[in-house]
Amino acid sequence: MASVCLYFQVHQPFRLKEYSFFHIGRDYAYDNDTVNLQILNRVADKCYIPANNLLLNLIAKHKGAFKIAFSLSGVLLEQLQKARPDVINSFKALVDTGCVEILAETYYHTLAFHYSSEEFDRQVKLHADIVKATLGVKPTVFRNTELVYNNYLGTHIKNLGYKAILSEGTERVLGDRSANHVYKATSGLPLLLRNYKLTDDVAFRFQDKNWSEYPLTATKYCNWLQTEFSKGAETINLFMDFETFGEHQWADSGIFGFIEALPTELLAQNIQFLTPSETVKAYKAKDEVIVNDSISWADLERDLSAWRNNSMQYESLEKLYAFEQQVVAKNNPDLFHTWAKLQTSDHFYYMSTKHAGDGAVHSYFSPYKSPYDAYLYYMNILSDFEIRLNR
Amino acid sequence: MKKINVLMLGWEFPPVVNGGLGIACLGLAKALSAIVNLSIIVPQASTEYLIEQMELIGLNQIDLQKLKTDLAAREVSVQTNFSDESIESISFIPVDFYPYENVSSEQQAVINKSIKRTVTENYIPKPSVTAEDLATFSGDLYGDDIWTKIQQYANVASKVASTKQFDLIHAHDWMTFAAGLQIKHESGKPLVLHIHSLETDRAGIGSRGGVFQLEQHAMNHADLIIPVSNYTASVIQHHYGINASKVAPVHNGVEKVETFKTEKPFPEKLVLFLGRLTGQKGPSYFLEIAHKVLQNYPNVRFVVAGTGDKLKGLIETSAYKQIGSRIHFTGFLDREKVYELLSMADVYCMPSVSEPFGISALEAAQFGVPCVISNQSGVAEVLPSALTADFWDISLMARNIFSLLKDEKLTNEVVTNTLKDLDNISWEHAAEQIVTLYQSRLGL
Repeated sequence: MASVCLYFQVHQPFRLKEYSFFHIGRDYAYDNDTVNLQILNRVADKCYIPANNLLLNLIAKHKGAFKIAFSLSGVLLEQLQKARPDVINSFKALVDTGCVEILAETYYHTLAFHYSSEEFDRQVKLHADIVKATLGVKPTVFRNTELVYNNYLGTHIKNLGYKAILSEGTERVLGDRSANHVYKATSGLPLLLRNYKLTDDVAFRFQDKNWSEYPLTATKYCNWLQTEFSKGAETINLFMDFETFGEHQWADSGIFGFIEALPTELLAQNIQFLTPSETVKAYKAKDEVIVNDSISWADLERDLSAWRNNSMQYESLEKLYAFEQQVVAKNNPDLFHTWAKLQTSDHFYYMSTKHAGDGAVHSYFSPYKSPYDAYLYYMNILSDFEIRLNR
Repeated sequence: MKKINVLMLGWEFPPVVNGGLGIACLGLAKALSAIVNLSIIVPQASTEYLIEQMELIGLNQIDLQKLKTDLAAREVSVQTNFSDESIESISFIPVDFYPYENVSSEQQAVINKSIKRTVTENYIPKPSVTAEDLATFSGDLYGDDIWTKIQQYANVASKVASTKQFDLIHAHDWMTFAAGLQIKHESGKPLVLHIHSLETDRAGIGSRGGVFQLEQHAMNHADLIIPVSNYTASVIQHHYGINASKVAPVHNGVEKVETFKTEKPFPEKLVLFLGRLTGQKGPSYFLEIAHKVLQNYPNVRFVVAGTGDKLKGLIETSAYKQIGSRIHFTGFLDREKVYELLSMADVYCMPSVSEPFGISALEAAQFGVPCVISNQSGVAEVLPSALTADFWDISLMARNIFSLLKDEKLTNEVVTNTLKDLDNISWEHAAEQIVTLYQSRLGL
């Protein structure tokens, strides 16, 4: 048997204001509402709505044989609830087909697992709640922020009762083993690892005219998948940002046409689509994967260095999580929510000072002029937050 | 007594202000213009800053036709077009170079070459000032081509000067020194150099580059040197090797500021650093001091207001020291925001490595903010009540700040005494001292 597991990540952070020293003690609205709404509307109109319509048609057309999975961050769902309920409805319509699986994650799209398992559990629970409230389902498979994973998370997630977890198929933990099988964590929890090469062909290289394979067609791509299956692949896990469609790769690149043609091609060649929970049921775990140092799907390093590498990132993360006891003691839902929103991993991603290719990706996503600005605004906000906590 | 006619040469002048130079020139010019006849030539001027009794000549606004007519009217007095080679040749001429005294044959060859070029290119009776020359003064006053700008300034300012009557030339900082030398040569009038800042302050005490050479060359040939502090007078003697007999310090004054108090929107104390983030101003020492203070007194915030090439490194270092939530970098701030900070600050700290004066400390003092100043700052000489330490003495600096934050009695005492110190400081007082020097040292 040969199958493809498609999962799309859907996330937009609450970006923060350009918060100067003169705001401290005077302005406790940290979010840049104008920019957030502007980006939300743009992404909704360019990606979420048209892509969801296309996927809905494809599911109908292939009568249940085309299946996908989504993970939607809580902070995105919260923004959509307020400003774009139509987008929530379109995701709900997809879920209602029975061909779409929704995954679990942290509500605030954070690195909380690395700092506090209590806070992590709280966010996982909050996420389950908002998914239930908006989409009416209870996720059973977990994906951590940016596919960050290690043995301890594998154990923790198993203890929370989840059936499987997703992460990155990096050689650093696989060695010469292929990512195209189901693996298991040291805790025994089934592990699905991303085939980053075949994913990035779509997510990063699709519209790159300097790429030797440009233009990529569904037929060509299907042949590449077939090559993997002929070498013994069982499942090819293609995990990517949903914003790939229409936002990172523009509509005029032909990305929508590509995704439209893909299921027809694959199904014609007897390649199945399975959701993550179906995939781990369909195949026996091939081997155990040991991950002592965290891995992720970010940057060339595929570790935590996208968010925790330079002194600014280390300090801001540590200062933020140092407030936990105080925040818990205050027991004020507003403060709790504000503190947790400050945990969103994007804030630390913007502070990255990496150069070359990765640096370009970081600045593509960043709303600020420089990583130093991102850090200064963030620390000013933390200062104000501290003042509010001590009041 | 007859009023002295002063031809002043300035570079920065409001609204063109990069550091303290423009502010000091304006303050001094205002006060001097009440007691002497003052004309000041600057590269850029704005009509907003016209001062009564003073002739302000911006080379960016000069009437080229009128200048040509004026020059033609007095053709007899223009014999040659002297151009001081110090700028052009400075990078490869030894520091003792001067074209009109005994020099080695090797030096003479270089000088001849540059003189020849100057003469063939700029030779008058016809004045060589063109609209293109004046365009030099329309943009940024510094930058890669500052040497060209200085040459153009010397060229045009000397033409303007030749149409004026004056008793002495008073030049502010190295950008105007070539012009000063040229005008002195053409007019035979005494040259006064006003030293607000030296290359050894800006680029480190060991600096011996082209700017240093120009400064030294000009000071060697000046008739009177007025540094803004005893500290700078000592640098001029010991690092530039200038004879002390023609060096006479006069401290800066300060504009009276309408002060006010603002309640801080946070409970912590506030310690302030103001200035460009360059080695000279000692921002990295400020970071060390802040770190030390925080270890004993956590309820304090530090603000670093200003920008410069050290900014990124400072931000990273403060994060590395884990004090980033207590040190706030604001970037460049306008006057209004600076005053807002001063109105809420508890301590002003100036850990400069080498600061000829440091007017900002006087502004802080006016706001009733107690000052902690490095011994390497001239302003400490006029604020005897301020607390001081060597810039490198992090422990003493931190102890001084800690004492002011903790000890209200001490703070009140320092503030009261500092306000008294201010009574003796004014531009009028500085102007009177300068005129006395004109009389006693130049025999005017």
